[in-house]
Amino acid sequence: MAWRNVWRNRRRSVVTISAMAFGLWVMILYAALMDGYVQGMERGILDLEVGDLQIFPEKFRENPTLWTTIEDPDALLEPLVSQGFSASGRVLAFGLVAAGEASAGVSFRGVDVERDATITKVQDEVARGEWLDPADPKGVVIGRRLAKMLAVDVGDELVVLTQGIDGAMAYDLYNVRGVLRGIADATDRGGVFLNESALRELVSVPEGVHQIIVRRPADLALDLAAGEVRGVAPDLDVQTWKQLMPTVASLLESTQGIMLAMFVVMYVAIGMLILNAMLMAVFERIRELGVMKALGVGPFEVLRLILLECGIQVGIAVAAGLSLSLPALAYLSTSGIDLGALAGTSVLGIAMEPIWRAAVSTGVFTKPVTVLVVIVGIAVLYPACKAAAVQPVEAMRHH
Amino acid sequence: MTAIVELTDVTKRYVQGSVEVMALRGLTFTVEAGEFTAIVGPSGSGKSTALNLIGALDRPTGGVVKVEGRNLAEMGARALSQLRRDRIGFVFQAYNLMPVLTAYENAEMVLALQGVDPAERRERVVKLLADVGLAGLEQRRPEELSGGQQQRVAIARAIASDPAIVLADEPTANVDSETAESLLALMEALNQRRGVTFLFSTHDARVMERARRIIRIVDGRVESDEKKPAHPQQPGTGVPAG
Ligand SMILES: Nc1ncnc2c1ncn2[C@@H]1O[C@H](COP(=O)(O)OP(=O)(O)OP(=O)(O)O)[C@@H](O)[C@H]1O
Ligand SMILES: [Mg+2]
Repeated sequence: MAWRNVWRNRRRSVVTISAMAFGLWVMILYAALMDGYVQGMERGILDLEVGDLQIFPEKFRENPTLWTTIEDPDALLEPLVSQGFSASGRVLAFGLVAAGEASAGVSFRGVDVERDATITKVQDEVARGEWLDPADPKGVVIGRRLAKMLAVDVGDELVVLTQGIDGAMAYDLYNVRGVLRGIADATDRGGVFLNESALRELVSVPEGVHQIIVRRPADLALDLAAGEVRGVAPDLDVQTWKQLMPTVASLLESTQGIMLAMFVVMYVAIGMLILNAMLMAVFERIRELGVMKALGVGPFEVLRLILLECGIQVGIAVAAGLSLSLPALAYLSTSGIDLGALAGTSVLGIAMEPIWRAAVSTGVFTKPVTVLVVIVGIAVLYPACKAAAVQPVEAMRHH
Repeated sequence: MTAIVELTDVTKRYVQGSVEVMALRGLTFTVEAGEFTAIVGPSGSGKSTALNLIGALDRPTGGVVKVEGRNLAEMGARALSQLRRDRIGFVFQAYNLMPVLTAYENAEMVLALQGVDPAERRERVVKLLADVGLAGLEQRRPEELSGGQQQRVAIARAIASDPAIVLADEPTANVDSETAESLLALMEALNQRRGVTFLFSTHDARVMERARRIIRIVDGRVESDEKKPAHPQQPGTGVPAG
């Protein structure tokens, strides 16, 4: 009976169902694209560049010098790891690299290859050549733009010039072992990754690190993680990625805010539509509902009938919205949206990927569907209660 | 004879905004099993109000309404709903049927609510529709039936659960007089052959004539109550629906 009732006003039901299905479709794609965007940005920032948290020696950020170090990094790394964090120290230095006629100012990042793999995915971002290998102390991996500026590629020789801790000029020759993809401006233009031991030797810093990059366990909130890390390293400068990159952090937060606002607007509209459609469906049938009540149909059975009618419509809408979203998502998550002209540009120093892809997770479906069901459930409650409370005598006085 | 309906000094006051209407002012009568009774009276005299009170669709302002000896005032909403489902059949003036259900499904509705098993339901409903002259039209929707045929479905539904009484508020008001005649003939036949108790209201003099008892209400009180001897002529049954 509910099924047939849904189709008695075919046009209204089709409009209602289409609106819900379309709304759901839009929200699913939107959520997937936004997730893709945020994940892309976060991956650029967290996975490839800054990690979740960083520990510096006191004053290092104002005045980065070779001799300002965390003297005993192992004393920090061990407790952090035992608390579920991943952490790795890096030796940092500044200098010049040259190839042929060209030269550029760069920042050297000496990494412990094995340990660094637990805190970054930069090793997966090698466009050409290979990532560092402890067995190849002279091999370095450089940023994309730097390679272009110096006109070098895998296998070419680089002249490296810097100042050692004693103030003496340090000079050496290295080979380009790998060139990275676009990551972030700083790395693209001036990032030179090399083995920790090689950099220590070059700048004569036998021990200590300048920076520890920390990744938190997935279920630990950033602020709590910061608290724990500060507990382990009370005398050091502990920064979250949001503190290190405040503009990016607020951009990502506002993205999520915009997404939420979109959801709310969309669903309020759908809620009103349902409220209106179901109110009409109840009022134009008020006499019929009165007859049902007169014949001994109970209020709960009437309530159930109306909810079922609404449920059928939501069910069809969800099925339609989901199945229509699948091909669209398949396209958006594989081919993606080609940003064409924007490719290679960066937003706030984070490289935009040339293709904007949707990120598909179950949340991309379950969240919009859940919200739809909840909103529609709220919207239908009033008409349904109205129908359940119909008094036969009054209902039948309606002509 | 057992009293199926007993009204004692029933009053009903409607308040609509600042206007008060005394629809019933001390209505007293009883209806016994097997009767075929018409309630007549001028418009606004309280016929519908009385039928609604008997049918447990509304509560009186004063007085006592009893159906099969049970005082309706002492019953809760749920019990009243059950009483309507199991003991009372309703035929309204118009728009009686669920438009999305077929004639068969409409007639079956009350039995389904009662939880009668489908096989028995099927048997009873098919026979019932044949009895009211609708054999072969079971699968039609109300919109595919004439007004008279729709009322026949409503009558079939009303008697499907073997109620103590069928209340019909102007069942013939929306059909032409020929159809009205045939509906009355049908009700009469059901009354005589199955012993269904009917209490119906009407304005129509020709319909009135068929009743074996006429309760005339004026201004919410019984003005006259006459019983006629059993109808001499044999009622026509199975008349094709009008
Ligand atoms: N729900 C209501 N609210 C207010 N007044 C009502 C209501 N129902 C009936 N009345 C009034 O009560 C009086 C009796 O009405 P009722 O419908 O019982 O008369 P009736 O005899 O059935 O009339 P008719 O022959 O026109 O159907 C009328 O004056 C009517 O206006
Ligand atoms: Mg009336």
